[in-house]
Amino acid sequence: MTVRREKAERLADEELMPLIGEKDPEAFEVFYDRHGGVAYSLAYRIVGEKAAAEDVTQEAFISIWKSGARFDRARGSVRSWMLSIVRNRAIDALRSRAGKAPKLSFDDDAILEQRPAEELTDDEAMRRETASELRGALGELPGEQSKVIELAYFGGFSQSEISRMLGVPLGTVKGRMRLGLEKIRGELAEGLA
Amino acid sequence: MTETNHERWSEDVAAYLLGALEPDEAAALERHAAGCERCQADIRWMTPAVDALPESVARLEPPRELRERVLAEVRFDAEPEAVFKDDPAATGIFGRASNWLRELGSGPMGLRPVVGFAAAVLVVAAVAGFAIGGGIGSDSGQTSTVVTGTPPGVTAKVISSDSGGTLHLANVKQIPDNRVLEAWVQRDGEVEPVEALFVPDRKGQASTELPDMDGVELVMVTTEPKGGSKSPTSSPLVTIAVPQ
Repeated sequence: MTVRREKAERLADEELMPLIGEKDPEAFEVFYDRHGGVAYSLAYRIVGEKAAAEDVTQEAFISIWKSGARFDRARGSVRSWMLSIVRNRAIDALRSRAGKAPKLSFDDDAILEQRPAEELTDDEAMRRETASELRGALGELPGEQSKVIELAYFGGFSQSEISRMLGVPLGTVKGRMRLGLEKIRGELAEGLA
Repeated sequence: MTETNHERWSEDVAAYLLGALEPDEAAALERHAAGCERCQADIRWMTPAVDALPESVARLEPPRELRERVLAEVRFDAEPEAVFKDDPAATGIFGRASNWLRELGSGPMGLRPVVGFAAAVLVVAAVAGFAIGGGIGSDSGQTSTVVTGTPPGVTAKVISSDSGGTLHLANVKQIPDNRVLEAWVQRDGEVEPVEALFVPDRKGQASTELPDMDGVELVMVTTEPKGGSKSPTSSPLVTIAVPQ
């Protein structure tokens, strides 16, 4: 391991971004190793195919490499920003594939492939624990609330499209989205308490 | 801002954060929220819930090859000459390739990348190996293998010999019926077409003969309208540097 890589590993994401903006490949490598897993997992969750998920992940990271200097920390964490890029590209890929419905289920524990626990960093181990708790929280949402959230976030459908798909009034869709997010937010707040 | 106004917009905050508003609706909500503290507070409160959604996804281990492709592209973009710093012969070739590709992207042909994000088409380090002299899969020829960035995953192999060469592509996505693959070679900095058009099979594999490899520095493949073109009209799918 190079000295530069060791130094980069000690930096927070927000400190890596200016280095990535200056085209430092070591900083980017650390960034990829931190977030490549969740990015690929999200892409796969949305597009439902490994090859397409790889394409989406590669496009997203290369776009971050090319636009790293444009990250605005006032708009949230680097990780959230990165995941929003992955999500948007995955939804674009999904929409461009005519006739293929998105994979829509939270029940994807069966495909979970975990590295041995000793290889996980503390941060990643905590994130996985949080992810597990979140899956539980999402699973406990009333079905009609989790469905509209899933269709919107992982399926890329607009609230009007969801209203038509489910045959319920638009106001009902809005209400279910709000109630669902408020419940998830409540679970997060409890977790922090 | 009146309470009625807030309630009307507040209904859309969750959909906005979930990306479920149409672009004009989202823009309207943003304009309203800019002057509505209650909407801003709603957005701040619910944003962590939306940020948590991708974190809830079951984790998959990304393929090792994906990491290699991404990092190879990045390293080449950062410092193309350094990619082959241990191979002086290749350094020159890739340096010229890099320059050619930069010219291609901004030159008089006015080419634009097929994929918008890939503003620069990249020759990427030979992740899968770069063998010369009695190379892979050939007793008498030379083999060059590269992975390139547009689109990701396409691999190419050139097997050259005294009498010519063969170009093999793999992982090529299906191309529209009205387009074909066309190969090009660069000699002394000049790009010229190869008199052969080809298409990928169902498995994404495609091959063509390269009749004259004498002095060829680069082999490139683009998609062109049926019948081919006299000069490239799209960014290369692959670019292979041929060791001299």
